[in-house]
Amino acid sequence: MTDGRPTAGTYRTVELPAVPGLGGLYARGAAASGRLAVTRRFGASDDVVGALPEVAYVVRDVRTDAARLTAYQHLLGEAATDALPAGFVHVLAFPVATALMTRSDFPLPLLGMVHLANTVTQHRAIRLGEPLDVRAWAQDLRPHRAGTQVDLVTEVSAADEVVWRGTSTYLAKGTSATGTASTSTDDEREAFVAPVPTGQWRLPADTGRRYAAVSGDRNPIHLSALSAKALGFPRAIAHGMYTASRALADVGAARGEAFVWTADFSKPVLLPSTPNVRIGHDADGFAYTVWRPGAQAPHLTGTVTPA
Amino acid sequence: MAASRSTAKSTETSAATSAIPPTSPRALVLGGNRIPFARAGGKYAHASNQDMLTAALDGLVARYGLQGERIGEVAAGAVLKHSRDFNLTREVVLGSALSPETPAYDLQQACATGLETVVSLSNKIRLGQIESAVAGGVDTTSDAPIAVSEGLRRALLDLSRAKTVGQKLAAAAKIRPKDLAPATPRTSEPRTGLSMGEHQALTTAQWGITREAQDEVAFASHQRLAAAWDAGFFDDLVTPYRGQSVDGNLRADTSLEKLAKLKPTFGLTLDTPPTMTAGNSTPLTDGASTVLLGNDAWADEHGLTPLAVVVDAEAGAVDFVHGVDGLLMAPAFAVPRLLARNGLTLADFDYVEIHEAFAATVLTTLAAWESEEFGKERLGLAGAFGTVDRNRLNVHGSSLAAGHPFAATGGRIVATISKELHARKAAEGRPVRALVSVCAAGGLGLTAILEAA
Repeated sequence: MTDGRPTAGTYRTVELPAVPGLGGLYARGAAASGRLAVTRRFGASDDVVGALPEVAYVVRDVRTDAARLTAYQHLLGEAATDALPAGFVHVLAFPVATALMTRSDFPLPLLGMVHLANTVTQHRAIRLGEPLDVRAWAQDLRPHRAGTQVDLVTEVSAADEVVWRGTSTYLAKGTSATGTASTSTDDEREAFVAPVPTGQWRLPADTGRRYAAVSGDRNPIHLSALSAKALGFPRAIAHGMYTASRALADVGAARGEAFVWTADFSKPVLLPSTPNVRIGHDADGFAYTVWRPGAQAPHLTGTVTPA
Repeated sequence: MAASRSTAKSTETSAATSAIPPTSPRALVLGGNRIPFARAGGKYAHASNQDMLTAALDGLVARYGLQGERIGEVAAGAVLKHSRDFNLTREVVLGSALSPETPAYDLQQACATGLETVVSLSNKIRLGQIESAVAGGVDTTSDAPIAVSEGLRRALLDLSRAKTVGQKLAAAAKIRPKDLAPATPRTSEPRTGLSMGEHQALTTAQWGITREAQDEVAFASHQRLAAAWDAGFFDDLVTPYRGQSVDGNLRADTSLEKLAKLKPTFGLTLDTPPTMTAGNSTPLTDGASTVLLGNDAWADEHGLTPLAVVVDAEAGAVDFVHGVDGLLMAPAFAVPRLLARNGLTLADFDYVEIHEAFAATVLTTLAAWESEEFGKERLGLAGAFGTVDRNRLNVHGSSLAAGHPFAATGGRIVATISKELHARKAAEGRPVRALVSVCAAGGLGLTAILEAA
């Protein structure tokens, strides 16, 4: 992941008192996005992007709420055990990374950023009640055919041992990164051939609101057709991590406690929707695909393989 | 206790050489009774599970003179069951002519419920725990339970726990208009969201089963069931109820031409042409069935003629969630294990009863057994498992014609084939065997061997 670029090891650590609330972050992000847009419009460099802040945010002693865990597990179709689903750990920890994106020196606008891909490596199951430390930073600012992409890395440790690490790749459209060679490799996608489905998801119009309630992610693009339209989507779209986490839940206990879980988000799921899914033994462990029948590209694909 | 334990031990040893252990009691099918199955919304539209199961049980009691009798145990179940029916079978017993001192329990294994009641009660008889039993099952899709939505349910539970006016108002305020829509039971698999028909359509396509082959299975089912009714075969197996005197779904006058005209209903979004129609799929049905079981001594005391011995049973399950096998393919794995344990092959069976959830379910099961690849790779055999002689398959028709009130199907099959086994042995004077196979939701399957007594 580091590719010889400056990494978290050299970053300055800033300790936050608690995991910030996403609502406030989106408000700050909206203001910052406006400021960035203004800078780009009037600045000399037009829409060229600056460097990432060399800062890691840390929150210590993060605790889990049993009621929130249960609500999450029920919504996602996870067994309501005392082991935290890997997607729940993301929900718990990612606001720390979001806080980083609202810094005044973060070079990309938070609002309108597109979640392109996500990789989680879970080294062991995290149990309810374990005090957790969260560390988040941004790395690998690089060009994408449609703008600039960046990795937000979130590390979760228990007793000073990293037990969970997530890398979320985001795209800021219409910007271009400075100082990095154009090494984008994801221009050409292979033609999509729909696999044999193993199931179907019924995603009602309130899917985004229901996930927002358990995740705290109330990004307006997920909440209602009206709020999504204001941001350029014809209808509300499902949270990418909701769909990836449902796929992880569908893999079920066979994933084991230590695994790598990937997701590539190709096309947003416009709500309501009844996409086909295939969750099968198609990789070292499991591979999954979610698609709308007849579509030319899947909504998302990914794998869940032993770590 | 010590003595009976050592008896059980010696029984296990001798089981290796004989399918029916001579030293433990035999579990015998002594008879059966059901009500005619009715199409959903038909003559039983307002009858409850309890009503229908009571009707079937009282018919059994009347037929075998069991009024006031204390039966060892009654077990039955329903797939679609209202929470108020938490003790359905006991309530049915209390409302029947049996002694109120007859114990009862509910059991549920989706569409295998009825057969599992036969299997588990037979095991109790073989262990000497009980001497007699009634197995049964019932289902209504007309009088199905309707639940409130999750939102309303949670709000109502919170409301019932609230103590202050403020807490009550807060709980009530959580109810949204959409929460007021009722939640009707769905037949889709909880983990895949696909209906049973959509699952079977995937398996049908995987095995390349044609529309024509499916329609032929459906046609044969109607022809054979109609012939059995015409011959009076069901006269001592069925008690009319609510004006229904034959199975309501039976279409004696159907033809391959009529079946061929029906529009496909499942597999419409697959790459392959859809082949499954309302004609070659079972319809939603209401009905109930019972089976009378006992050991030799109890049968003697009550002057009852044993029809068949419940020899052995094997349950199976498949990982349909991750597409490893089709939802309804568990019997394809359970039967080879069952037969291997009993030293039998498909050729040793005079009758094979495969529940027709869909015509294609029967055909994909047969195709798997006839496949060299499936035999070698999935069953671990040297080659294909074997072939079923179609003349021995579902000889008096099956669920496509009779209908399929989920939990009642096992009892229908066991009572029907036990009577047939007994008649065949009486005519030919040789051992006669039947294989019974029922697929079920959740990737389950239950299979059993019956032998003429």
